[in-house]
Amino acid sequence: MIEFIDIHKAFGANKVLDGVSITVQTGQILFIIGKSGAGKSVLVKHLVGLIRQDAGRILFEGTDITNYREKDFYEMRKRCAMVFQHSTLFDSMTLIENVALPIRKHRGVSRAEALEQAHAKLALVHMDHLADRAPGEIGDGLRKRVAIARALTLDPEYVVFDEPTTGLDPVSAVRVDRLIREMSDRTGVTSIVVSHDLRSIFGIADRIVMLYQGKVLLDGSPSEYRRCENPVVRQFVNGLPEGPMEL
Amino acid sequence: MGLLRFVLEELRGIARTFGLTLYYVFRGRWRWAPVLEQMFQVGNRSVFFILVTMGFLGAILNFQTGFQAMRLFGDTSLLGAATLPLLVRQLGPTLCGLMVAIRVGTGIAAEIGSMVVTEQVDALRMCNAQPVDYLIKPRFIACTIMVPVLWVIGTTIAFLCGMYVTWASFHTIPATYMNFDLIRLPDVVEGASKALVFGMVIPVIAGHSGFAARGGSEGVGSATTQAVVNASLAVIALDFLLGGIAFLFKTAGL
Repeated sequence: MIEFIDIHKAFGANKVLDGVSITVQTGQILFIIGKSGAGKSVLVKHLVGLIRQDAGRILFEGTDITNYREKDFYEMRKRCAMVFQHSTLFDSMTLIENVALPIRKHRGVSRAEALEQAHAKLALVHMDHLADRAPGEIGDGLRKRVAIARALTLDPEYVVFDEPTTGLDPVSAVRVDRLIREMSDRTGVTSIVVSHDLRSIFGIADRIVMLYQGKVLLDGSPSEYRRCENPVVRQFVNGLPEGPMEL
Repeated sequence: MGLLRFVLEELRGIARTFGLTLYYVFRGRWRWAPVLEQMFQVGNRSVFFILVTMGFLGAILNFQTGFQAMRLFGDTSLLGAATLPLLVRQLGPTLCGLMVAIRVGTGIAAEIGSMVVTEQVDALRMCNAQPVDYLIKPRFIACTIMVPVLWVIGTTIAFLCGMYVTWASFHTIPATYMNFDLIRLPDVVEGASKALVFGMVIPVIAGHSGFAARGGSEGVGSATTQAVVNASLAVIALDFLLGGIAFLFKTAGL
């Protein structure tokens, strides 16, 4: 279980998170939604130490990681992986080398052994036949799958997905959604998905948290969102251009 | 006040990056493949630029000095002897440093800046690969080795181009121009020290600017500009500082 307790974060005068509290239950697929700039990515990056909060606490399975130093996060990042919005594969490496990198760095195994393990992870996302290609030679959807394989290399208990379907064609987006669902069902991994893709949200989410004006506006199941009468939630869920939601 | 604070914060950030780089150079594992790749990028890819720049510099320096010498003394026989120490200890390392700051520094800042704004640096951290170890260290080692090499090449070509111009303009024969009487070991040590120090600071300053990139392409552009400005200022300031130290050593008879 992960607990974000009263998280505050500002960039200069721009207050992004203003007392956000969320509990992530083990085994769930939790979606964090909200308009662009609502602080969704900022919030999840706190969990793996890529951003530090101005105030508030984060508990990771009961351990307070609020004041962890960069070195303390090394172990943490083995258990909690992250798939970034732009896939972030390293152009100077092949796909298999990209997937092998965390194995070599975290586990300190030989290159040959790391490549062998990486092959198995690529096979999980049906990408092992393209193992020796460069990231630039494949499309966005395939790159995203490789990024997911890289995140899974260390068998994490938690995976954070930052807008996994943004910029993908509908078919690739559905495949990525299915991969997240399959991964959760098969391995019991807990997924935290940052998204504003309505089809994904209502397709695979167990629970949804909506951020608005730096706070949690609604925390509930997909059916609760469908029933919710809050005008801001209604505008977001129905994808309406006009409404009370601030630009 | 704002400018002073900005300068102090930049200096603190650069010092921190420099310290981390040294830590990983001495404590971390060396991966030779990226170092060799960077040596090719820094050295081989800069050679033509350095040859042309330093060639013209040597030609201009000797022509202008020779022109004044002809007006004052009517003699250019000591031109080679007089310009060689200047090239070796002052113009050679400084101009090479500035050229590397422009050509290599921009490349480092742009590459790292792009990696920052596309979250590749965050992805490295997630893979337990430290960005300074992974991105700055190979460039640091490559520049520390290759800038002194470029200094030797650049200074040699400047001296040779000066020889040609002196012969073509003032009819001083190459044998007369090739006079090494005024060059001393301390001049060579000073020039080599400067080239070495410039090679160490340029990638660190450029890398620091790259890590500070925010936003999108505009942020990368600003980081690149900042890298050139900071690295060029550092080369000039360190040239003055190291020149002063060398002068103190000479006057102390060391």
